[in-house]
Amino acid sequence: MTKEEIFLGNGAVALGLLEGGCQVLTSYPGTPSSEILPEAIRLIRRENLKTYVEWSTNEKVALDNAFAAAAAGKRAACCMKQVGLNVASDSLMSAAYLGTTGGLVIVSCDDPGPHSSQTEQDTRLMARLAKVPVLDPSSPEEARQMAALALELSEEFSVPVILRPAIRVCHARQGLSPGALKDREGPASFQKDPLRWAATPRYRLVLHGELNRKLEAVRKRFEGLSSHNHHDLEAGRRYPLGIIAGGVPWAVVRDILAEEGRGDLPVLKIGTPFPFPEETARLFMDACDKVLVLEEPDAVIEYFLRDGGKVRGRLSGHVPPQGELVPEVIHGILDRVLREDGLTPLSEPGGKEVRDLVMGLELPVRKPTLCPGCPHRASFFAIRKAWPKAIFTSDIGCYTLGLNQGAVDTCLDMGAAITMASGFYQAYRQDGVEQPVVATIGDSTFYHSGTAGLLNAVYNDARFILVILDNLTTAMTGMQPTPGLGIRADGSRGKAVSLERVVRGCGVDFVEVVDPYDVGAMISLLKEAQAHVRDKGIAVIIARHPCVIAYREEAVPRPIRVTVTEECKECNICLDRFGCPALYHDEELGRTALKPHLCNGCGVCIQVCPKGAIVEA
Amino acid sequence: METINFVLSGLGGQGILFMTKVLAQAALKKGCRVMGAETHGMAQRGGSVVSHLRLGDSKGSLVRTGTAHFLLSLDESEAYRNLPFLAPGGALYANAGPRSFPRGEVRAYLEKKGIRWRAMEATRAAVDLGAPLSSNLALLGFFAGSGEGPMGPRDLEETIEMISPERFRNQNLRVFRAGLESAGGV
Ligand code: SF4
Ligand code: SF4
Repeated sequence: MTKEEIFLGNGAVALGLLEGGCQVLTSYPGTPSSEILPEAIRLIRRENLKTYVEWSTNEKVALDNAFAAAAAGKRAACCMKQVGLNVASDSLMSAAYLGTTGGLVIVSCDDPGPHSSQTEQDTRLMARLAKVPVLDPSSPEEARQMAALALELSEEFSVPVILRPAIRVCHARQGLSPGALKDREGPASFQKDPLRWAATPRYRLVLHGELNRKLEAVRKRFEGLSSHNHHDLEAGRRYPLGIIAGGVPWAVVRDILAEEGRGDLPVLKIGTPFPFPEETARLFMDACDKVLVLEEPDAVIEYFLRDGGKVRGRLSGHVPPQGELVPEVIHGILDRVLREDGLTPLSEPGGKEVRDLVMGLELPVRKPTLCPGCPHRASFFAIRKAWPKAIFTSDIGCYTLGLNQGAVDTCLDMGAAITMASGFYQAYRQDGVEQPVVATIGDSTFYHSGTAGLLNAVYNDARFILVILDNLTTAMTGMQPTPGLGIRADGSRGKAVSLERVVRGCGVDFVEVVDPYDVGAMISLLKEAQAHVRDKGIAVIIARHPCVIAYREEAVPRPIRVTVTEECKECNICLDRFGCPALYHDEELGRTALKPHLCNGCGVCIQVCPKGAIVEA
Repeated sequence: METINFVLSGLGGQGILFMTKVLAQAALKKGCRVMGAETHGMAQRGGSVVSHLRLGDSKGSLVRTGTAHFLLSLDESEAYRNLPFLAPGGALYANAGPRSFPRGEVRAYLEKKGIRWRAMEATRAAVDLGAPLSSNLALLGFFAGSGEGPMGPRDLEETIEMISPERFRNQNLRVFRAGLESAGGV
């Protein structure tokens, strides 16, 4: 046996894909999926594989690229977070009909909670909508097995397959024993067949029929897939209550039953929620008087069971309709169901006393904040100061935290800073009101889905200021490179795509670059931009300064030692409108003070204090 | 082997992930089966961060409330916030002033539940060694020096040596040893 190593769940997915012979791997980063591609690159380097990798500009681009590779007979995969699959859904729905020649796996990571997403949507429902098989792992080890299996199934049945690890799989750590990896042979060979690959609606009906037949064949395979769909019924025995569970909730409930010594409650694990293994489930249902379904984040298995009288789950109100099914929640659900049925309850979990105790302590709420020295903070301060009455549309990234400075009013989806800005503008202009709007979007988000909205705004004569917060990286998800840098996923050189040129190419005439660390310069540029907006059209300001985490040295080349003096008059502007975590209100001193160990010496706060109380020491 | 549950808490940026990694890696070397859960994403920007680590045969990665043997916290408030995880008879290690920790009402609860506690000023120790962002290693040393858990100080030290990035290796080891010393376990 090879040596055991600790893998992040996303690393286990990467390992499984490579073990399954993945030749092409694309991704757009998004929590909780972001580490899959970097982990794959680590393994590809270590094992000297030829697998092609790329950070694609968005999820649809990632899926289309992987699809083409699979149409050419290769084994390919693309990785994204669950809301990324929304972006890629246009591609997914159609790819299901066209099918594959090689293997195509779409890894879409769910976020029950949600911990780092705008929704708690369930990828399994998306799989059902698109009519593609979906595998639901309960642990990193199972995710690894399923990733390889998904590639094989996809190739065997010529259908894309979704792997849906939830956040507790993606960000779990587990010891695994990786074997040696080797490249899969098989050159690209696309067989032209326009009837299929460029199918018209007429032929799409034929393809739909084909897809339905494939799904039926896959379902039959799933019925016998005892490694991922299994139960512990004893033949001939009847049970008052059984549990059907999938994914992480299965792992949780297994642990609870083991701790409680509850061999009297059989469990059916469903690792393949679609196409649903009807016969396996029927067999289990028949042996149980009642069944409790535990799944995340939505109801899927429960719908497929179609027996409202017998089944307890989200639809029956036994399982909460939102929020993560953490162990104490599952413990509570199971305990209530057992009591309702007059069965032996679980052991008393206690905990009320300590919860009340903690509640009574009135602990400080720890809001996420931008890092000390973050250039976005300086930008938001300037924006807010220059245009206090504007509507501030923003977007998805670290800079959503501009919320804390009152400089972010909206955050809808990737790219909506721009599209909502034009939407607001037009809605007001209709009433004859010129409402100032300042949109903020990050560089990576702009490349992802900014251009279509910007083109639209220019074309339809919307007027607003767009500030592109260019910190030369995709910070929130772990510092992936952007197209602006010209560095590719594997570290090799690509061609840098200039933000300025893209913006000009969208038809914008006012494009200026400023370093937001120079607050005064940024404010005067914002004022200048407003004049252009009034008379001519959209103005774009690129606020460019490297992220302090991604580029420690370059971001603050000459750290300034700052101190707060007696001049502080407690106006709290620095705390309320700027809010660097290194500054705080010191009760004893009766003024703002500095936590030197958090300060990285950017010196921006010196420009922020209206009383000149923050100075270089 | 009965599953041993750890919960590690603190604020984003304090190095909870690295601390979890060290414990997990050291446990693996001891032959334990390892399962853990981490916080990534938005909360890493200074929000409350919690890591779970389970040594043994567990299938799930999350520790259920009331079942943690150890709670290690890099922040006093986060230690209190995560008290519900601790099992009776468990142990709490916190980055806090040993004289003032824990607050009165918390002390009464811990005593009643037979939960042991120890506090050290891990941030100060790290700052004193010129490594202000390494309070995680100081607290880890402090925990190791208290002689608890399946991994001894040597196991943890070797792991830190192995997995630290080159340029932080010596500094990490120095801070870890300072923690160890302050626990009286050198
Ligand atoms: S430091 Fe300046 S801005 Fe902050 S409270 Fe004092 S006077 Fe006001
Ligand atoms: S110099 Fe001021 S703004 Fe910059 S990190 Fe230090 S306290 Fe924060």
